[in-house]
Amino acid sequence: MKRVTRDIDPKDARDLLERVPRVCMAFAGEGGPQAQPIVFEWRAGRCLAGIPENEDNKPNPGNEVVILIDEGLYFFDLRALYMRGHVEPIPGPEHAPVGYTWFELNPIKTVAWDYGKLREVDVEG
Amino acid sequence: MLKVDDPEVRVVIRRSMVARIATLSIHGRPSINPLYFVSRNNGIWLGTDDWTLAARNVKADSRVSVLFEVEKTQGDHRVLRIRGRASISSDFKKLRSYNLRVAFKYILTPAGILNALAHVRQIPLKLNYNAQGAEKGQPCIIEVAPEQVEFLKS
Repeated sequence: MKRVTRDIDPKDARDLLERVPRVCMAFAGEGGPQAQPIVFEWRAGRCLAGIPENEDNKPNPGNEVVILIDEGLYFFDLRALYMRGHVEPIPGPEHAPVGYTWFELNPIKTVAWDYGKLREVDVEG
Repeated sequence: MLKVDDPEVRVVIRRSMVARIATLSIHGRPSINPLYFVSRNNGIWLGTDDWTLAARNVKADSRVSVLFEVEKTQGDHRVLRIRGRASISSDFKKLRSYNLRVAFKYILTPAGILNALAHVRQIPLKLNYNAQGAEKGQPCIIEVAPEQVEFLKS
């Protein structure tokens, strides 16, 4: 049996980590979910996220967050890397933008999709 | 306090193409999903299917936080965040209205047509992909009623 999938190997979306076209973070903040624009640095395999210092709502150490890096406006250009994990505060990395509180994401699950690479795959059943 | 009908807010929403909606599961776990959207009656309609994580989360916890970036104008780095309450609708008339607006915003435009033409061989796969989604559930709209609107640094 076959089905069509948009999913790709996250390794094939590695360019998103390097180019970071659009990036944001979600976490459970005071009063509900928080969608937060961030700055993102991918350094030696580490995922580093900066939240503006003046932002009242930030994740607490150990909180679960999702970081979404995506690009594209039209259907077949839509690509994304979706990383779920826990964050820990870190000192600002060297040469990183100032004015941000920095966190390191320890990913527990990463998925990626690319609608330009829709394809049929075999599935059981 | 900013409101969704503020002229500057409307400009950003009009020039934004993909909204990112943050939601919480019934267990309080966060998620964020990029979705197409249209602006309607001072509210935001985001299209998805009722089986998706975004829709299931909204059913569990109606609180949402949505980001909009200016994507149609280069050099404008404003980001808008709308917090509010959301609900799920599968109302036929609303879905028809949403689909019409989406067609004119994303598909029946020069860029949308070029995008489809550049991937013409994949259009049957897209149709199959959509059909698979229809087997799992129904299309729906996440209707966001804004409660707080603010501009952020991108």
